[in-house]
This record gives sequence, structure tokens and C-alpha cells, in this order.
Amino acid sequence: MSYYLLLSALLFAIGLYGVLARRTAILIFMSIELMLNAANLAFVAFARNSGNLDGQVMALVVIALAAAEVAVGLGIIVAVFRTRSSTSVDDLAELRG
Amino acid sequence: MLLLLILLLPLLGFVFLGLFGKHLREPAPGVIASALTGLSFLLVLYGVLTGGAEWAVKDWLPGIPFSLVLDPLSGYMGLVVTGIGFLIHVYAIGYMHGDAGFSRFFAYLNFFIAMMMTLVLAGSYPVMFIGWEGVGLASFLLIGFWYTEKKNADSARKAFITNRIGDLGFLLGMALLYSLFGTLSIAELREAIESSTVLPLALGTAGLLLFVGAVGKSAQVPLMVWLPDAMAGPTPVSALIHAATMVTAGVYLIARSSFLYANLQDVSYFIAVIGLVTAAYGALSALGQWDIKKIVAYSTISQLGYMFLAVGVGAYWIALFHVMTHAFYKALLFMASGSVIHALGGEQDVRKMGGLRKYLPRTHLHGLAGALSLAGFPLLAGFWSKDAIITSTLTYPFGGTGFYLAGLAVAFLTAVYAMRWYVLVFLGEYKGSGHPHEAPPVMTVPNDVLALGAVFAGFLALPEPLWNLVEPYLAPALAHVEKHHMALSLEWGLIALSAVVALVGLYLGYLAFTRRALPGWYLTFQTWSSNAFYVDRVYNVLIVNPLKELALVLALFDGFLDTVYIAAAGTGSWLGGLLSKVQTGYVRAYGALMVLGLVAVLVWGVLR
Repeated sequence: MSYYLLLSALLFAIGLYGVLARRTAILIFMSIELMLNAANLAFVAFARNSGNLDGQVMALVVIALAAAEVAVGLGIIVAVFRTRSSTSVDDLAELRG
Repeated sequence: MLLLLILLLPLLGFVFLGLFGKHLREPAPGVIASALTGLSFLLVLYGVLTGGAEWAVKDWLPGIPFSLVLDPLSGYMGLVVTGIGFLIHVYAIGYMHGDAGFSRFFAYLNFFIAMMMTLVLAGSYPVMFIGWEGVGLASFLLIGFWYTEKKNADSARKAFITNRIGDLGFLLGMALLYSLFGTLSIAELREAIESSTVLPLALGTAGLLLFVGAVGKSAQVPLMVWLPDAMAGPTPVSALIHAATMVTAGVYLIARSSFLYANLQDVSYFIAVIGLVTAAYGALSALGQWDIKKIVAYSTISQLGYMFLAVGVGAYWIALFHVMTHAFYKALLFMASGSVIHALGGEQDVRKMGGLRKYLPRTHLHGLAGALSLAGFPLLAGFWSKDAIITSTLTYPFGGTGFYLAGLAVAFLTAVYAMRWYVLVFLGEYKGSGHPHEAPPVMTVPNDVLALGAVFAGFLALPEPLWNLVEPYLAPALAHVEKHHMALSLEWGLIALSAVVALVGLYLGYLAFTRRALPGWYLTFQTWSSNAFYVDRVYNVLIVNPLKELALVLALFDGFLDTVYIAAAGTGSWLGGLLSKVQTGYVRAYGALMVLGLVAVLVWGVLR
């Protein structure tokens, strides 16, 4: 049990680091995926431990959600790349409110 | 259905001309408006001949139906309104020729006719109030018809605001009647009041409040100041609204409520006094005016005072008789004045007129007929109705000898100022420049008809023992007031006396105003009179200016409140500006803040 959670926490931390440290939108995106899957792992681990299926269901929901998010996110990234020939998120700073 | 049609035809004209009038060529809007008013007149005539009609929508307001009634009283008044209205519409086609607002003018006129007929045909007070407010609005719109001049717009506002004071009285009176009897239908109220033996004390207050409404609309003392200024509107408007019809609405209201006032002796006495004061004030002010229309306007105030004197003493039918004859000769006087103004290219000062008999022969005849009828020249319409009013102060229960003498004195003044008007405009030498030209037939023909009315309408109701068609016709719709009959010799002696008074007044007026020099005391009086005895100035000092000061103080306070609110809003937006600095636009910064927040929540959760 604790190994699963340790792995999950490790993956999450790597993902978080990626989001904060990387500038390329694609890499940030991948890092977010990493964090989502870390969460999934934790869900499944808890579900197995407690012997009820709720956590598994939650993981499936997260996967479906992540798929939708990928579709939208990649679409945005492609659109941004077409207009600016760059996927660096720092270039988008003028979108601030 | 017939009754609804009487209202809807002019209203249709208003809507149609208001929406599409701009696209019509010049005489078309006038012809349409006149035709619809004429149709309305025919419908009223048909209704009167077939013996009246009723129409109602139940539960228009909870417990109050929307009822229209065509009985002798409303039929009589309706004939005057639509009949005179039709003639004035036709006249206006000529008078308003070439005006940029030609179709707008006729749209307003039709609106006025529709609202006036609502007022006249109303079977309950709330319905009458709709018409009452509607004609007020029409009057406002038409006084300010040439709104680009500030003076006209100011006059329109003055008329409207002064009328509001009266309208408040009307409204409160209605509320009081409703609380006393639980109904506002005129027929039901009449039944309730005539069948009850003990009348509630508050009835007097209700009557007084309704009378306040009438005072406002009919320009009685002390709310008479708006009517002379209302002459800022085009002349047909002055003739139609501010002489023949709308201003008599107050008289109509009192006559409609005669069952109420016949039981209220004190209030009736008060009405008669107000009427007499107004008649005297109007006549004295008319004497000194220099504006051709203002002479006629003050004379209207004076004649309205006579009508209120009549309703005050209980002679309701005589007041309505005078409403009709007055509608004829006063509309005629106004439209003759209009023809003169038209001929002189907008000149209204009588000092620059004179000698117009030569240039405007037809209008001269109209003016003469109108002025003589107004002055009470024997056998003309104005003579019979005014004499009936003066005599009624002796025969009707709420009258008295004092009223009689004062009424006679005012009749003398009336003859003098009518003569003055005629002399200054038509006799002597022409003192202006330019070439006056007679009005086109579209203007003179309606005046011919009115002149016939001003001369012969009086023969509808002659003193005893001759025939009288008006009194028996109106009797069922009015309260029965017991008058005492005087001996025939005395009655005709008084008629002769009033004829002599009128003739002497005319003669003196002729003598005085054809002469060059007038005595010094008269010139002093002249100055006072031409300023209408400074009533406007007194009102300005006592009422208008304090209200303006109050408004100024309130505006200052309002400004202070605004400043506070604006400062509060400014603080909010300043704080928002500070916070918006956090929005750097760098995704990493947002992410870092999220993580920080997450950590904070976790730490708080663990430590708790």
C-alpha cells in the first residue's frame, strides 16, 4: 500500500515540478497528465485497500476527463502555435486580465 | 359600441397621423383629421337622436367598470366638443398651412378630441379622470407646439404643472367618495346620495376637492395663471382647447356631479364666490392687455367665472347653456384673431393694428359678431346666456342680490373690453406696416358657421314665457333644484336692465377707445391691468421662488450623496486595481500560487 502511495506522490511531485519549471506548453501539458495519473494511482490503491469500487470508478472518470482535456488543450496549443510559431507560455503573458 | 367608436375614430386618426403623417402631402393630414372628427360628430348626433346609449367593460379595475354613457348631458356636451372641434379642424387646415409640423398638429388635435370625448362620455369618475389627464397632456403638447422657443415650452410646463394641483384635488376627491360609498360610478353615486336621508359629513370635503380639480382645469382664481400663457400655442388650439372645450371641463364636472353639489349649500356658495371673483378678475385684466389673443384669453377666464357662478347658485343648465354660446362666440373671436394674426404675418400687438375693417371685410364681420355676442348685445347668443346667469342669481336657491349686482357690474366691464378689442383691431387707422390680406375660404367658412352660432344660438333657450329647449332636455341628467319664479314684468325689466348695461358699456367703450387721450387714472389702471395685477409676480415671490430654492438645496444634498457614492465606488475600483496586479499573465506564477495555496490548506488541515 504505502509503496503505491509513495510512487503516486513521487509522480505527482515530478509533474508539479514540470508544470512550474517548464516553459513549453506541450511539456507543461505532459506534466499535468503525469499529475492526473499520479492521482489515479492513488485512487486505485485506496480502492484496493478498502475493498470498494468507488475509487476505481473515480479513476475511470478522471481518465475520461483527461481525454477531453487533451483534446481541448492540444487544440489550443496548435492554434497558438499557428499564430505565433511558438509554444512558450511566457509569450502569452499579454493575455492577463 | 357606438360610444366606443366615437372615441376610437379620433384616436385612430392620432395613431395613423402620428405614425404615417410625415409621408402625407400637406392638406391630407388635415382632411383626414377633420373627417374623423366630423364622423365622430355625426355619431354623437345619431346617438343623441336615438335616445342615448351605454357601454361598459365589467371589472376593468377590480370593482370598477369602464363605463361610457351617452345621456342628454354628455350628448349635449359631446355635440359642442365635436361640432366646434370639427369647424376648428377645418380652419386649422388653412391656418397651419406650410408649417413643418402640419401632420403632428393634427395628430395632437385628434388626440385631444378623443380624450375630451372620453371625459365627456365617462360614466364613472376614474374614466373621466383618464380623459381629464389626457386633455391636459394634449393641452401641454399643443401649447408647446412650437417648442423651439423657450417661452412656449415654459408656458406649456406652467399649464401642466398648474393643472397638476387641480388634478390632485380631483384624485383625492375620488378617493374620498370611494371610501364613503364604495363606488365611483356616477349613476350609482347619484342613487346613493339621492336616496340617503343623512349625508356623511365628509361629503362636503369631497365636493370641495372635486371643485379644486375644476378650478385647475377651468383656470379659476387662484389657479388661473396658466391660461393667458397658454396662448403661446397656435391660435386654433387656443380656440379649441383654451376657450371652447377643455377649459369648460370643470363646469362639466360640476354639472355631472350636480346631485352632489345640490346637497352642499356651503360648497356651492363657495363655488359661486370663486366664480364671481374670477369673472371680475378676468374682465379687469382683459381691459388692459395689448396682445390680441390675451384680451380674448382673459375674457375666457372671465366667462368661465360666469359659468362657475351659475353652477354655484345651482343653475346647472344655464351654465351649460353658456358653455355652448361661449363656445361659439369665443371660438369665433379666437379664430377671427387668428385670421388677423395670419393676415399680418404673426403680429399680435393691437397697438400695431387698427383699421383692418378695410383690409379684412369678412374677418371684420366675424370679429364684430363675436365681440357683440361676448358683450351681450341684445338678442345675440351671449346676451341670452349671460343674462340667464345673472338672473339666475336671484331665482336659484344658492344665489343672492350681491351676486346679481356684481354680475351686472362685470357684464358692464365685459361690454367695455369687447368694444376695446373691436375698436383697436378693426377701427381707426392701420398702424402697422405690410399689406394685410384676407384669409382663404378654408378659414373664413368655418368662421361663418361659428358667427351664425354666435348670433342665433341663444334662441335655443329664451326666458319665460318664450320657449326653452335646453332646460327640459338636460333636466333628466341634472339634479333637480327648486327655483322660485319671479313675476314676468320684473323678469323682463331685469332683462331690459342688462341690455341697457351692455349697450352703455359698448357705447362708453367706443367713446373711450376711439379717442386719442385717456385720463390719467385710467392709464394707471391700464398698467396694472396689462400686467394682470402682478399675480404672476406675487406667485413667483410666494410660491415659485421658495420652491426653486428648496429644489436648489435638495439638488445640493443630492450632489453630496452622489459624491459619497462615487467615492465609495472609486474605493472599490481602486482596490480591484491593486488586486489585478496579481494577474501577471505568467502561467508559472499562477501555478506556483496554486501550489502555495494547496500547501497552506494541507498544513492547516494537518495542524488542526
